Amino acid sequence: MDGVRVGKRIIGAEAPVTIGWENIPRVEGGPVKQFIFTWFQPTMLFAMLAFWYYAPNSIAKASTAIGIGIGFKVLLLALEWVNPRFASWRLTWKELATDLFYVGLGYTLIRMMGSFAGSGVMVKAVQDLMHWDKATWFIGLPLLVQAFLISFIFDFGQYWMHRGMHNWYPLWLPHSVHHYITQLNINKGAVGNPVELFLIGLGVGGFFDFLPRAALMAGAFGLAIGTYQHINVRFNSPKWWRFLFNTTEHHSLHHSQDFEATRSNYAGSYIFIDRMFGTCVDGEAELLGLENGRRMSIREQMTYPFTEGWKTMKEKYGRSAPAPLTEPAE
Amino acid sequence: MNGTALAPHDDFAGSVQEKPSALRYIDWIWHVRGEVALPPRQSSEEAFDRLAPLFRQTGTSYNRYQNTLTFRKKDAAAQDKMSVFDSGVLQVENSVLRYDLISKALLYCFLAPLLFLAFAQATIAINDWKKPAAHAAGAAAKAKHKPADKKVVPPMNPIDKALGAHALDKSDGEDGDEDGPKSKKPTPTPAYVFAGIFAALYLVGRVLEDRLVKSLFRNSIVGA
Repeated sequence: MDGVRVGKRIIGAEAPVTIGWENIPRVEGGPVKQFIFTWFQPTMLFAMLAFWYYAPNSIAKASTAIGIGIGFKVLLLALEWVNPRFASWRLTWKELATDLFYVGLGYTLIRMMGSFAGSGVMVKAVQDLMHWDKATWFIGLPLLVQAFLISFIFDFGQYWMHRGMHNWYPLWLPHSVHHYITQLNINKGAVGNPVELFLIGLGVGGFFDFLPRAALMAGAFGLAIGTYQHINVRFNSPKWWRFLFNTTEHHSLHHSQDFEATRSNYAGSYIFIDRMFGTCVDGEAELLGLENGRRMSIREQMTYPFTEGWKTMKEKYGRSAPAPLTEPAE
Repeated sequence: MNGTALAPHDDFAGSVQEKPSALRYIDWIWHVRGEVALPPRQSSEEAFDRLAPLFRQTGTSYNRYQNTLTFRKKDAAAQDKMSVFDSGVLQVENSVLRYDLISKALLYCFLAPLLFLAFAQATIAINDWKKPAAHAAGAAAKAKHKPADKKVVPPMNPIDKALGAHALDKSDGEDGDEDGPKSKKPTPTPAYVFAGIFAALYLVGRVLEDRLVKSLFRNSIVGA
């Protein structure tokens, strides 16, 4: 495979990828289907923002946001059946059960871990040092600007954490497990080693919970944009959308079997952060996963970072093995 | 590793009709058994030839010996039509294909509600353990927040006012519970919800995978 030159890099030399928007297939079907799958993403984003903007205080609460999040994901699961991007990414019972196991861990075990040492603890410590009055200039900004800034700051942190995971071995070990997924479905974002899920959950988003409405709107940005990273639905995303926001296309390249392609598209929601730092590649891939798409079992996903780390430590610091005999002893 | 026909091996020893044991009463949890009638005049050889593509999959090894086929899977691909099964035995007797398939995925899904119930209990225990310290911190924080502070309403941007956004409510989430403002202690509710989800998922999977594998074998044998 020759690959395609993107800037100074050759993408797709190791595994098939599609580079360039003009080469990516469009939604097939009649005008109604084309219309729905072109405007679904912007419509949902604006609908969610409008809801949080105008919702009375009695329902503008975190519990409502959780309900909307669950309902939205169920809707997207239905869309996966209606208009799949690739037949080879079809959701099976086993894939669904595996994904939901990780979603469950996120709501239980990871949350328990976070209550001891997660960002919530750190954020609370810093917030206690701050005073409400010092943030008045921020609170005076229009709500939408507040919300965008909160989600941008959060995504900016996520970008560097994610990029760090791909460039520093101790962080790569827990993150590598997530790169053993072989297809993208709506809950695949939750799949990974709990250590990584804990690390990726560390962020500054919690700083802004003293601005409940702006924080809820920031969550809507994440839900209505970031969720499309892992989904098996073909959309005709508008040009402006795919220039600004992360899409399944971008993220499928990030998960492809081509090493160079995986070192791109690190942002969660705002792909323009990747464009700012020269790590964005526009395109898509169908064949995903490390080791040529070997599907890793949950048991191995739980232990892999530790067993691999131990192997590396032994190789580096362990007692060196006796040199092999090159001549038969006499 | 692609599917390969192996010589008879102890690892593959097995039969659809095994000796009765106590486990027989509960092993329906992770065993899927069934039978499919072969078309008239179809031999076991021919039936297994038709089924063979199902076992020529990544991570699958299988063995055919006389009227029995045994298989084993490791890290089966997500789209492998039998990925939910880890091993199994297929036998042809009197023009009927009988199979006994083992699924760790079904077993773990059956046990998953117990794991989540354990998480719920752990959450309750941790909350109880942290309660005295959190209560003291909450009381101190409440004392620190003067009632006058609560009346401060944050300013609203003129653009938001013009567009008719709801007035900001500072008290949202501020008061918290007895453990103090912004208490975000984990609750056991999600663990209970996921215990229920996995119980339902098991029932769906046990019925669905049973039917899917039966129709898969039937269609393969008939050549549909």
